[in-house]
Amino acid sequence: MKILVAVKRVVDFNVRIQVKADGSGVASDGVKMSMNPFDEIAVEEALRLKEAGKAEEVIAITIGPKASQEQLRTALAMGADRAIHVETDEDIQPLTAARILNAIIDKEEPKIVMLGKQAIDDDNNQTAQMLAALANWPQATFASQLEVDGDVANVTREVDAGLETIAVDLPAVISADLRLNEPRYVKLPDIMKAKRKPIDTFTLADLGVEAAASVKVLKTSAPATRQAGIKVETVDELVVALKERGLF
Amino acid sequence: MTKVLIIAEHDGKHINGSTARAVTCAQGLSAESVEIAVFAAEGTALAEQAATLSGVTKVLLIENPANEHALAAVLAPQIEVLASEYSHVLAPSTTFGKDLTPRIAAHLGVPQISDIMRVESPRIFDRPIYAGNAIVTVEAPAGIVVATVRTASFSEAETTGSATIEKREVNIELPSHTRFVKLETSGGGDRPDLQAATKVVSGGRGVGSKDNFNVIYSLADKLGAAVGASRAAVDAGFIPNDHQVGQTGKIIAPELYMAFGISGAIQHLAGIKDAGTIVAINKDPDAPIFEVADFGLVGDLFEIIPELEKALA
Amino acid sequence: MPEYKAPQRDMMFVLNDIINVSELAELPGFEDATPDIVQGVVDEAAKIIENTIAPLNETGDREGCRFDNGMVTAPAGFKEAYQLYSESGWTGLDKSIDFGGQGLPYTLATAVSDMLCAGNDAFSLYPGLTNGACEALMEHGSQELQDTYLEKLTTGEWTGTMCLTEPQAGSDLSQVRTRAIDQNDGTYLIEGTKIFITGGEHDFVDNIIHLVLARLPDAPAGVKGISMFVVPKFMVDSDGNPGARNPVVCASIEEKMGIHGSSTCVMSFENATGYLIGNANEGLRYMFTMMNLARLMVGLQGLGVAERATQGAIEYAKERKQATAINGGETIIHHPDVRRMLMTMKALTEGCRMVAYDTAKHYDISKAHPDESVRKTANDRVELMTPICKAFATDVGCEVASLGVLVLGGAGYIRESGMEQYIRDAKIFCIYEGTNTIQALDLVGRKMKMNLPQTFIKEMINDLAAESGNDELGFIVEPMQAALNLLDKTTQWLTAAALEDPQNPAATAVEYLTMYSLVTHGHFWIKAARAALAKQDDDFYKGKLATARFFTNKILPRIYGLAPVIMAGSESVMTAEEDWL
Ligand SMILES: Cc1cc2nc3c(=O)[nH]c(=O)nc-3n(C[C@H](O)[C@H](O)[C@H](O)COP(=O)(O)OP(=O)(O)OC[C@H]3O[C@@H](n4cnc5c(N)ncnc54)[C@H](O)[C@@H]3O)c2cc1C
Ligand SMILES: Cc1cc2nc3c(=O)[nH]c(=O)nc-3n(C[C@H](O)[C@H](O)[C@H](O)COP(=O)(O)OP(=O)(O)OC[C@H]3O[C@@H](n4cnc5c(N)ncnc54)[C@H](O)[C@@H]3O)c2cc1C
Repeated sequence: MKILVAVKRVVDFNVRIQVKADGSGVASDGVKMSMNPFDEIAVEEALRLKEAGKAEEVIAITIGPKASQEQLRTALAMGADRAIHVETDEDIQPLTAARILNAIIDKEEPKIVMLGKQAIDDDNNQTAQMLAALANWPQATFASQLEVDGDVANVTREVDAGLETIAVDLPAVISADLRLNEPRYVKLPDIMKAKRKPIDTFTLADLGVEAAASVKVLKTSAPATRQAGIKVETVDELVVALKERGLF
Repeated sequence: MTKVLIIAEHDGKHINGSTARAVTCAQGLSAESVEIAVFAAEGTALAEQAATLSGVTKVLLIENPANEHALAAVLAPQIEVLASEYSHVLAPSTTFGKDLTPRIAAHLGVPQISDIMRVESPRIFDRPIYAGNAIVTVEAPAGIVVATVRTASFSEAETTGSATIEKREVNIELPSHTRFVKLETSGGGDRPDLQAATKVVSGGRGVGSKDNFNVIYSLADKLGAAVGASRAAVDAGFIPNDHQVGQTGKIIAPELYMAFGISGAIQHLAGIKDAGTIVAINKDPDAPIFEVADFGLVGDLFEIIPELEKALA
Repeated sequence: MPEYKAPQRDMMFVLNDIINVSELAELPGFEDATPDIVQGVVDEAAKIIENTIAPLNETGDREGCRFDNGMVTAPAGFKEAYQLYSESGWTGLDKSIDFGGQGLPYTLATAVSDMLCAGNDAFSLYPGLTNGACEALMEHGSQELQDTYLEKLTTGEWTGTMCLTEPQAGSDLSQVRTRAIDQNDGTYLIEGTKIFITGGEHDFVDNIIHLVLARLPDAPAGVKGISMFVVPKFMVDSDGNPGARNPVVCASIEEKMGIHGSSTCVMSFENATGYLIGNANEGLRYMFTMMNLARLMVGLQGLGVAERATQGAIEYAKERKQATAINGGETIIHHPDVRRMLMTMKALTEGCRMVAYDTAKHYDISKAHPDESVRKTANDRVELMTPICKAFATDVGCEVASLGVLVLGGAGYIRESGMEQYIRDAKIFCIYEGTNTIQALDLVGRKMKMNLPQTFIKEMINDLAAESGNDELGFIVEPMQAALNLLDKTTQWLTAAALEDPQNPAATAVEYLTMYSLVTHGHFWIKAARAALAKQDDDFYKGKLATARFFTNKILPRIYGLAPVIMAGSESVMTAEEDWL
C-alpha cells in the first residue's frame, strides 16, 4: 500500500507576520519558511504506518515554487521514500490543489492520502475535503487517532462535541489534527540520504490540470487590535470592575 | 438574485446556535430568501426549531436514515442536488461546517470561502488568515458562493420567526464507504456550550493538573460559565479536546472571557479576539495575555479563584 | 529565562551573503554541502536545539552537577537531550565518513555550534571536547587507536576529554608532571592528577576517553618532553565494547561561578592503562591540533552567550515601560542609552559571527582545497584568526552579557530573569583553552613572527581600495581607511618595539588583539553593508545597514583609545616594583 502525503511551504509558525502597508499582502521576503505543522504531523503518521508494516511506500508531494523542494527534502529526511514536486509560481487555491492531487492519485494509486487539516497561512481547511470529493473517496478530517485494519481505517476525529470515531473504507483521504502524533526530529544522516532520494517534477500542464476559478484577494489589512486594558491590583478591584460591566 | 441555503448543524435534538449565527450573516447579503436545510433521520422537531429563526423564509427537511449522523460524504451529494436553486450555500465554520462545505464546493466545481467575518457585498467578504493576524477582503468568482461563517463574528438570529417547512426527498444513491462508529462527548453536564456561552472560564498549563482543573470548573459553575482551555492544557491531558480555544480549537465570542494560567500565545488569542471583556490572571507580569486583557491581575490563580468565589457568594 | 530562538536569518545571511558558503560544495569531498543541505542542517539543528537543549540552560544552571563517590550526575534532562542529539547524528556532522560521520564542512559544524552554544553553553562542552579528542586521534593516532575509538566518539556514543591542566601546570604546560611508564606491551601506566577536567566524569555514556598529557621517565624537561596518551575509562574489549574499569577516577568536582551544567573534575590516574598517540615527546604538537579547534569552539561559546543575552535584552526592552522617552516612545528601547547598549550588543555579536564563520570556511579550504598554495594561505588565515576568534569573541561575550543585565536593570540582577547566568557563564570562556592573555601573546609572538597580521592588513587595505569611490559605502570605507592606516602603523611600531624590549609586546598584546579584532570586524561590516545595500527595502537589511553605521561611528573608534596605549609600551606598566603593589 502506498501513502501519499501532501505538504505545503508556509511562513514558520513562530514568525510574527506583518501586513504590508499598501495592503498587497503580508511581508514574506526572507522570512523563515517551514513545512506547515499539520503536514508534518501527516508525514509522521504516514511514516508510522509504514514502520508498523501497514504501508510499503510513503510519497511526499508539494505544489509550489522551486523553493518548496526544501519542504520535500524535510519530508524525505523524516523518512518518506520519494517525492513529487508540482512546480508553479502561481497562487494555488484549495480547489486547484485538490485537482492536482487528484491527478497524482490517478498516477500513483495510493490507498491513503494524508494532509494537514489546514495550512497555517491561509487557514482554509479545505484541500483534503475537496480532494475526497473529486476522487469520490471517503474523508476523515481532523484525525487525532488512526488505526488501519485491512481495507478499513478507523479514525478518531476532534470535533466540537468531543471525539468522533468513523470507519472509512480505503482508499480514503485523511487530514491530521495536532494531537495525532508528535513529529520526530530529523536525523542528520537522513538529511544526507534525503538528498539522494528522487523528486519527480511536474507542471500543471504535464498533469493536464487546469486551475479552477479562484477567489480574488482584493486587499489585505491588519486586524483591529484590542486595546490593552488595565492591570488591577486586587481581586476586589477586579470584582468591582466586572460588576460595573454587569458581568459578575 | 440572492437566494441563500444554510445547512443546519444539530445533534439530533437541537439546532446548534452556530446555525442561528449563519442566519445573521445571511441577512447581511440582502437576500431575497434565506432557507435552511435540515438533514436528519427524523427531523420534524429540528425543522420546527429552525423555522423560528428570524429572517428564515423556508426550512427544507431532508429525512433519511443515512442522515442520522452528519457525515460529509453522505450529505455533500444531497446538497449538490439542492444547490442549483441557490446563489449561496452557507454553513457555520464549526468542525461540522468545515468538514462538509469544501466537499460541497468541490462537487459544484467552485472554490469555497472559509470563515466569513464580514459581508461587504453578496460576493465580497472579509476573512481572517494567519491565525487572525491579517484580514483579507476576497471576492468570489462567478457561480454559486459556497462559504463557512465565522460564528464569533455574528450574533445569533432571534427566534421570533415562523418559516414554512417543506419536506424534500433527494433520490440519489448515497455512499456507504463512511460509517459513524461513536461519539465520545466529554459530558460537560449542565454547563453551557462553549461556543454559545456568554461567559467562559478558561485554564492553561498553569493550572497544573487534571485534578486542579476542578477549581476552574467550580468557578465556572458559580458564574454559569462554560469551560475553555489552551492547547497546552489539552495536550497535557488536563481536559478533553473539545474545550480547546484558539486557532485550531474553538473561536469564541463570549461577553466575558477569564483566562487563568494561560500565557497568551497568538494561536490562543486567535480564538478570543471577539470576546467582550477579557480578564487575565497570570503570575507572570510579562505574560503576553496582558497585552489583550481588559483587566489583568498578576497573581497565583489558586489564591485568586477562591477569593473570586467568595465575592460571588 | 528568555527563550532561545536560533537567529536563522542572521546565520543564513552570513553563510550566503558574507562567506558565500555555496563555494564549499566545489571542494573535493564537500560535494554534498549544497545550499539545500546547508539550509536543511540549519533548520533541523535549530529545531532540536531550541526545543530540547536550550530549555535546559536555566535548569542546568540551578541544579548543577552532583558528585557522589566517584560518580557525577549531570542536571536533569541533560542525558536524554545528549542521547537525542547524538543519536540524531549531530555529533558526527563534520567527522570522517570512514568512522560514521557525515563528512560535511566544518563551516556547517560551526553554524550548528553557534546555536548549540547559545542554546546551552554548559551542554555544548560535552560534544565540544569530544571533537577535540576525535581530531587529535584522526590526525595523529595509529590505525588501531582510530579503529578502536573514532567511531564511538564520532557517533557520540562515547565522549572525550582533554587532560592537560595540573595544579602546577596551567598556562605553562612545561610543568606537567603526570608520569607514563612503558609496559613494553604497547601500553603505558599513567599516574598523576589532572584538575579542571571538563566532562571528566558524567552519566551520559558508556565510556569516556581521556586524552592525557604525561611525561615519560627519560623525557627531556619542559614542553619537549610531553607525550600524549589515550586513557579510556573502561578498557575496550576485542569486540569494541567497554570492559574492565581502568583506574582513572573522578576524585571530586568543582563548585564554580558558572557553566554549572558542565562537570569540572579532578581526575586521578592511579596507574591507569594508556596508549601512546604518535611519537613520544611530541605531545604538545598533537595537543595543538585539538587546541586550535577547541579555541575556535570557545570563541563560539562567547558568540553564543552574546547572542542569547542580546535576544533577552531586546525582548525585554521592547516591553518594559519606564518614563516616556525623548522621542515619545513608551518602552525603554526608545531611551537613547538603552538603544546604545542594544546596538552595541547587536553589532559586536553579529561581527563575531561573521569572523567565526569566515574562519571556519578558511579552515575547510585549508583541509580540502586541491591546490597546496591555496591550502597554505587559508591555513595562515586560520592561524591568524584563532586567537582573535577565541579571545575577542569571549571578551565580547562578557561585555555583552554584562550590558544585557544592565538593560534589564534590577530585574537583570535577579536570578529569575536569566540574564545574570550569562555573565557567570561567560567569564570562563576568557580563561580556558589558554587565557585571553595567552591568545594575545600568541598573536603578537608566534603569529607576528610568521608575518600573518601584517599580511592580512595588506589584504584588508587592498579590499578597501576596491570600494573607494562607492559613495553609498563611504560612511564605512573612509573611517576604515583611517583605521587600517593606524593599525598598520601600530603594528610596525610594535614590531620595532619588540626588538627593543620584549616586554613591550607582552605588556600591550591584549590591547593590540582588541584593536586588531575591531578593525577585522570593520572589514566584515563593509561586506555586510555591501550585501545589505543590494537589497535594502526589507527591515532586516535596513537593520544590517544601520548596525554597520553604528559599528563605524560608535565601536570602531575604540581603536583611537587603544593605539596610543599600545604605543606607550611597557614602561609605565612595569615601573612599579612588585613590592609597591
Ligand atoms: C499550529 C499551531 C496551532 C496551535 N493552536 C492552538 C490553539 O488552538 N489554542 C491554543 O491555546 N494554543 C494553540 N497552539 C499552542 C500555543 O502556541 C501555545 O503553546 C499554548 O497556547 C500555550 O498554552 P498555555 O498558555 O496554557 O501554556 P504556557 O504558555 O506554558 O503558559 C502557562 C502560563 O501559566 C502561568 N502560570 C503558571 N502557574 C500559574 C499560577 N499558579 N497562577 C497563575 N498563572 C500561572 C504562567 O505564568 C504562564 O504564563 C498552537 C500551536 C501551533 C504550533
Ligand atoms: C571550568 C573550567 C574548565 C576547564 N576545563 C579544562 C579541561 O577540560 N582540560 C584542561 O586541561 N584544563 C581545563 N581547564 C583549565 C584551564 O585551561 C586553565 O585554568 C587555564 O589554562 C589557565 O591556567 P591556570 O588556571 O593555571 O591559570 P594560570 O596559568 O596560573 O594563570 C593565571 C594568570 O596568569 C596569566 N599568565 C599565565 N602565564 C602567563 C604568561 N606567560 N604571560 C602572561 N600572563 C600569564 C594568565 O593569563 C592568568 O591571568 C579548565 C578550567 C576551568 C576553570
